[in-house]
Amino acid sequence: MSVYRELIKNFEKIRKIMREFYVYGFRNREEYRGKSARSYDDERRRLESWLGNHMRFVHTPEGKNVFISIDSRTEPCNPLYQAWKAKSFTDGDITLHFILFDILHNPSVMLSLKEILTAVDSYLSATGSAMVFDESTVRKKLKEYTELGLIVGEKSGKKRMYRRADAFPDELPPDVLHYFSEAAPCGVIGSFLLDGRPPMDGCFGFKHHYITSAMDSEVLADLFSAMQEKRIVTVSNLSRRADEPKRMRIIPLRVLISVQSGRQHLMAYHPENNMIKAFRVDYLSDVRPEEVSPRFDELRAELDWMQTRMWGVTVRGRTGIPARTEHVEFTVRVKPGEEHIIQRLEREKRVGYVEQLDEQTWRFTADVYDSGELRPWIRSFLCRISSLHCSNRAVENQFRNDLDAMYRMYGIGEEGT
Amino acid sequence: MIFHEIHSVYYRTVGKLLRALLVGVSSEADLRRIIQENAFEESILTILPALKEGKWPLMRPDRTTPLRHPPTQPLTLLEKRWLKAILLDPRIQLFDLSVHGLEAVMPLFTTADYCIYDQYTDGDPYTDAGYQERFRRILSAVRAKQPLKLEVECRRGGTECLTVCPARLEYSEKDDKFRLRCGGARRKVINLARIVSCVPADPEGSFAAPLPLVKRSVSLKIRNERNTPERVLLHFAHLEKQAVREDDGRYLVHLRYDAEDETEMLIRILSFGPMVEVVAPERFRNLIIARLKAQKSCGPI
Repeated sequence: MSVYRELIKNFEKIRKIMREFYVYGFRNREEYRGKSARSYDDERRRLESWLGNHMRFVHTPEGKNVFISIDSRTEPCNPLYQAWKAKSFTDGDITLHFILFDILHNPSVMLSLKEILTAVDSYLSATGSAMVFDESTVRKKLKEYTELGLIVGEKSGKKRMYRRADAFPDELPPDVLHYFSEAAPCGVIGSFLLDGRPPMDGCFGFKHHYITSAMDSEVLADLFSAMQEKRIVTVSNLSRRADEPKRMRIIPLRVLISVQSGRQHLMAYHPENNMIKAFRVDYLSDVRPEEVSPRFDELRAELDWMQTRMWGVTVRGRTGIPARTEHVEFTVRVKPGEEHIIQRLEREKRVGYVEQLDEQTWRFTADVYDSGELRPWIRSFLCRISSLHCSNRAVENQFRNDLDAMYRMYGIGEEGT
Repeated sequence: MIFHEIHSVYYRTVGKLLRALLVGVSSEADLRRIIQENAFEESILTILPALKEGKWPLMRPDRTTPLRHPPTQPLTLLEKRWLKAILLDPRIQLFDLSVHGLEAVMPLFTTADYCIYDQYTDGDPYTDAGYQERFRRILSAVRAKQPLKLEVECRRGGTECLTVCPARLEYSEKDDKFRLRCGGARRKVINLARIVSCVPADPEGSFAAPLPLVKRSVSLKIRNERNTPERVLLHFAHLEKQAVREDDGRYLVHLRYDAEDETEMLIRILSFGPMVEVVAPERFRNLIIARLKAQKSCGPI
């Protein structure tokens, strides 16, 4: 039987369960499909160790539910970043790491593999350790660190010489790192940079702050890297309705981030369907870069054009063939002193336009791929909507039926009583 | 690579332990304290024994280390690429920085690679020189806990003068705005874009911390249709919450929100339509009912 360890080797395992505990939190131990009771207990224990008092428990007739409850407005730093700092390693990894950077303590110290090996041995003998590093292990570690950018390998004659990478001369102030580590994509990287600094009093707080996307940082970073190099990627996609992930070859074009729903979608060209489609980033894993795509610029320009017709992330039609849009318009009544409603229409609209029809009536109009995506926003104006028209009658009827259902749900009769 | 042991809490903590050993801080109590302050709850069970027993031969039995230099680690390429990306973000102009050394580094992303599609469009004017100057003065006052005299635009025109104790700058991604949370004044939250001028005030007496936010609760019943449970729980994921599945297949969700945001909560809940019903408190339910009655009075749509 394997021994419990606080650290983990595979992030994907914890990514899903952490999201379950944080976003949902209504499942009990028996409901975590595909997990043995021991594996569930180990992962719960790890989360307790990483997140401390953010873990909560509730007893229900079905059993004990464990969940993560965090008011992100009161947290100076995203607590979920801790999971990214829990990678396991071998005794040799950590020992070699500290010895290596002590040997290469300055970028001016440049040594060959043989010289490094000799120096490593002298450190080990100084502690009386029986640990031994062979040439292959040290070479692999130097190669790994060279790829990460920590070590620079340079040819000197026939020999390859190694030195530590140059220090970054202009360190950013901790406040700047703190702000962007919470407010920029892949903010966990900023959190790594802050870890090397003395602790500070946070000058910044964050409202409407969705911290769940932290769990998708690696996938996001890989997708961004591919976009920067205009590369095709293969990626695994495990959608809500599927049991098994599907491997796909796509051209990533842009990440669409919602700051009102906490979701992130990748807009990517899917050659199999000849379409630009949206993929939930939290459903993606194992991103592998492939060859550079000559079509990247053309496809991104097409996405730019499509975004002028998108309210959310839904797109329609095959690439190169313009899709039909749906017309939607609604009017609201604005009484004197309610000018903030007009401001709301103006600042919250993503496409379309707002116009005044008479002293108290304002109209919003748009043509979009999916008028159904506007329904939640239109509902937020309930109490003042005077008309609604959608070219997609199903959407219009659904809106009216939903409104009637709300009247019934709250016991509002014919006369509004 | 983000998930790598070089970023781990264990490496960071061992680095701090080795630094302590190099300056002669080596008592058992000191070492335990460093681990407790920097690592996870149960890390103490692993780190100290691994060093003491020589599994990680970086500490001698006499609690000295063979290392000669305080442990440091250069930035990874990924860290440099992320820094380059944030230096291209328009908001970086708020901080008055002059950064060199990343000229040859490819950014991890640019603003063309992502789009926040539902952010409000009346965000703060980050490129306005006057706004930038006020932002820096306020940030520096927050750092120094220095009271400020502010001239603030009023919603209905004109300005008012306030003396405040600035506590922190709060950023909302949804609004794309900074707000100053402060103590010592009638107004506890001030939109930065409404501040016309700010100058240091004389520190008189003690620095007043802002009052804690007043919290309220609301309980929702969610129908298990149209993927609503997931949408609702994700939508409100940033709040303290608890969800329970009921016998009828619906979900009961308790949310705690800031009282100052009640109107916003109201319209966010309304946006889910009949899939979400407010079941408690009665006062909040009545707010929904009032909106629906007002809607009914608008006539058929």
